[in-house]
Amino acid sequence: MMDKDRLRKADIFSGITFSVLGLYIISQAVKMPMKGSWGGVHNVWYVSPALFPLLVGALITLTGGLLVRTAMKEVGFEAVKQVGRYLLSPAFSTFLKQESTIRFYAVITVLVSFVFGFVPRVDFFLSAIAFLLVFILLFYLEDARILMKLFRFYACQLLIFLVLFLTPLHTLLTGIIPYPADILMLGFILSFALYAHGFCKKNDLLKKKYMTGLIVAVIAPLFIGICFKYLLLVPMPFEGMVIAVLDYLWYL
Amino acid sequence: MILLERIGSFFTILLGLASEPLNLAILFGSVVMGILFGAMPGLTSTLGVALLTALTYGMDTSLAMICLLAIYVGGTYGGSYAAILINIPGTAAAAATAMDGYPLACKGEGGRAIGLTTTASAIGTIISMLFVVSISPLISRFALQFTSFEFFLLAFFGILISGTLTSPDLVIKGWIAGLLGLFLACIGRDLLQFYPRFTYGIPDLESGIEVVPVLIGAFGIPQIIGVIKDRFQIGKTQKLQRILPEIGTVLKNIPAIIRSALTGVGIGAVPGIGEDIAGWVSYGTAKNTSKHPETFGKGEIQGVIASETANNACVGGAMIPLLNLGIPGSPPAAMLLGALMLHGVTPGPMITFEHPNFILEVAAILLLASMAMWVAGMLLAKQVVKVLRIPTQVFMPVIAMLCVIGSYSLGLNIFNLYLMLPVGIICYFLTTMGYPIAPLVIGVILGPMADENLRRALMVSEGSFLPVFQRPVSLILFLIIVWTIASQLPWFKRKLSAIKKAVFKQSL
Repeated sequence: MMDKDRLRKADIFSGITFSVLGLYIISQAVKMPMKGSWGGVHNVWYVSPALFPLLVGALITLTGGLLVRTAMKEVGFEAVKQVGRYLLSPAFSTFLKQESTIRFYAVITVLVSFVFGFVPRVDFFLSAIAFLLVFILLFYLEDARILMKLFRFYACQLLIFLVLFLTPLHTLLTGIIPYPADILMLGFILSFALYAHGFCKKNDLLKKKYMTGLIVAVIAPLFIGICFKYLLLVPMPFEGMVIAVLDYLWYL
Repeated sequence: MILLERIGSFFTILLGLASEPLNLAILFGSVVMGILFGAMPGLTSTLGVALLTALTYGMDTSLAMICLLAIYVGGTYGGSYAAILINIPGTAAAAATAMDGYPLACKGEGGRAIGLTTTASAIGTIISMLFVVSISPLISRFALQFTSFEFFLLAFFGILISGTLTSPDLVIKGWIAGLLGLFLACIGRDLLQFYPRFTYGIPDLESGIEVVPVLIGAFGIPQIIGVIKDRFQIGKTQKLQRILPEIGTVLKNIPAIIRSALTGVGIGAVPGIGEDIAGWVSYGTAKNTSKHPETFGKGEIQGVIASETANNACVGGAMIPLLNLGIPGSPPAAMLLGALMLHGVTPGPMITFEHPNFILEVAAILLLASMAMWVAGMLLAKQVVKVLRIPTQVFMPVIAMLCVIGSYSLGLNIFNLYLMLPVGIICYFLTTMGYPIAPLVIGVILGPMADENLRRALMVSEGSFLPVFQRPVSLILFLIIVWTIASQLPWFKRKLSAIKKAVFKQSL
């Protein structure tokens, strides 16, 4: 949590955001049937589906406004100006380049790319191995320079996947070779592992961490995935190359 | 006669559960998993229950409850390991334990502290189990008199009190978090007229927001982001010696254990208030009533016993409103509510009619879980401590993967993931800005209950709010709500202190 002064400044902005959200909820709720007939039911205000959202929207607007008022009383309008000045100052761009901020971008990028990009389109085992490999090596090696380089490498790889998924290329390739996204992912895993190994080979501690990361990244998805897929009979979100092989072996 | 019959049924259920080897294996496995979850700083019993819910989806209700309650009990207790040995509470519930636990470990009494907390936690859980058995029928019978107005006010009160007591900063932020939860609960077709609200034509939103992915996202993702971003490191672990507690010390502390257990049950029974508050309140009470308060914070065994007994007693306490009113008493209980609904059990006043032995079964599982926890604590403490050596940067990514597969496997719907992650990221920002997460989650869970009952009540009264003031229970709830809100207003606080001063002067 932030310190008190920063909290109050943040409260002004979050309070405004919530008040706007509250007003938006109200604006949507008033479009809902308040009277007349909906689905054969004659409406009156107290059974309307709008009643509860209206109440919630009004309360969010009110509490958001009260939060802004409380924060403004403590830090005054000067704080808003200070925040504005800070956002335009070099201090803000320094903040954006700080290691903790980069760690934040990196963790969000890894999570978002895994959930929205890979899980629905690539074999679950491969996407989980890639996710763990990237996630563990980015942060476990505990070196800001390596973090930056690995993160850039990962971002470049993501661009390749974006091109594959957002253009007709994937459909085109599927007609030529089976599992094109899985093959690309396999290539990504190998290239990322090799690239990361380059940073660790001269340092024993880093080499040990690298090996730990590699083992966990491979063993954990296999163990968890097999438990879910074959013991709990949960089909994986996307079943591709690896699952086809595992299915063959399991039902042999 | 009815009491004897209930005791008889309780022991029959207990023996039935304990005689199945599979039940015992699941019980011990889940307790140990819970202890590991609790012991690892950054992981919580709520997340443990959330992730295990996915695994219990295919089990029958009884086995699923064994699994989930055992991980809840184990997770609440497991937090004490990290608190005592590295001065970092494994869970928020064990925060008060660190105050005296770590100084004890520094003195070379870490093993003794863990042995005593294990025993005190087990006793706390058993005492809370007694309350579940004895109080539940009374509350259930009382709740049968409730009409829709009472249920609406109860749900609203639950969100309000949770927001008031769990907010780390301004109370109003807790209320806002609760209201955001209520808004999320509005999404989907409404329960009375089936009108689509805030669905934006997305078919996956038609049936409303899935509770379990929201819970996994709200409790798991902020934890993962926070630990990785802030480079959270686990410190050096203190060594463990003899763990088995001395009977004399346990017997000497029995009054303190009972007092702390009662505090835990009481706090657990208040909707939405978790084990962390129970631990702190009990610790404070122990310090205030001690003859030597100056020894607290310097390695006082009573301090450790007080917080650990209370946080484990809170588990049973949280079950009371959950089972009888359908209102979760704590965040892990909110998760349990989601799991129960998945298994077709709807907690509330009707539970004693729909599932006559369910409450007794829960009590029997709590008793078995506390015994399994004690045995596991005594036998495996030295091994469990080894998990504290696993770097957070290695286990957090695995937890993230579990969050993903866990959210997906409930309903086999990828949309659950699209819900889980944004909710998690928003909750991370909210946590950073001092908003509590528990009220948001309670809001998501109690939202449909509040919405449906408000409209149903108004339908019966034809739009009149007068019944709120005519029915004693709803009037009391209404007054408590007004008091809770008013007590946060500065002018009301000023008036109140002025009145207090005037009365005090007059009495002098």
